[in-house]
Amino acid sequence: MSGHHPDSKSMFDSYIKVASALFVLTVLTWVAALDWVPKSWGEAGNTLHIAIGLLIAIVKAYMVFYVFMHLKFDNKFIRAFVFVPIFLFFVLTFALNVLGP
Amino acid sequence: MSSGLSLAHEPVTKVPHGKLAMWIFLASEIMFFTGFFGAFIVLRNSNLELFSHSAAELTKGLALLNTFILIGSSLTMALSILNLEKGNTGKFKLFLGLTILCGFGFLIVKTIEYSTKFNHHIFPWTNVFFSFYFLMTGFHAIHVIAGMIPMTYMFIKAFTKKGYNHPVKVETLGLYWHFVDLVWIFLFPVLYLIFPAH
Repeated sequence: MSGHHPDSKSMFDSYIKVASALFVLTVLTWVAALDWVPKSWGEAGNTLHIAIGLLIAIVKAYMVFYVFMHLKFDNKFIRAFVFVPIFLFFVLTFALNVLGP
Repeated sequence: MSSGLSLAHEPVTKVPHGKLAMWIFLASEIMFFTGFFGAFIVLRNSNLELFSHSAAELTKGLALLNTFILIGSSLTMALSILNLEKGNTGKFKLFLGLTILCGFGFLIVKTIEYSTKFNHHIFPWTNVFFSFYFLMTGFHAIHVIAGMIPMTYMFIKAFTKKGYNHPVKVETLGLYWHFVDLVWIFLFPVLYLIFPAH
């Protein structure tokens, strides 16, 4: 069941750490989305906003998958169930944005 | 210990069947939401003006509050599983109860958000941005409700004489609940934040 998991004390510590990091990163997402990019940057500024917002979201997603959802401790086989659709997700978003209009 | 059936492990992965099935389901869920995100990107790129004006109407503060609520509920869910595995049923009930409360809190904030939109005469058919806003947040809210039903069942069962001593089942539900949090982690910046300010 949880035989290969670390002991519950260190699990408790990592849950608290990840939750705190998620709170901080949420605030960071908010701050990054404020209107700090000079207007003169034009479209590049928008792209920068989107890139920062999504990068932070990806870091948060990684932490939830690996610690909260135990991918770090569970059998590596399970990661295939996450990596395949996530790969498709990135291919799709990349294709739509770069190869699209 | 749970029943013999739920203890059965899949031979290759050594993972309980239910948990493996949940991962397969979550993989299909990722693709389900990917479809929405893909369509959203295509429509956004061809209606930039409309999308940024419409996104400015959203209440970012409520979305931020809901993000905090969901992260908090993910933490309490993880802690409730940890306590059940240790056999600490009192704390298991406490944290599971807190998770359900967070779920209700999320839905209440969502209701406030939706009713503010309706009061401003903003509906799913107002324009294509709001169609997607209501579709994506609506499907997400349905996922929250769907998670709260078995959670409430386990919570009530935990107060019966027999108690609820199925750590693997709670862990499997936890996987689903963290996934719902994950979807919101992407919805929050994509819908509310990354549009240029006007």
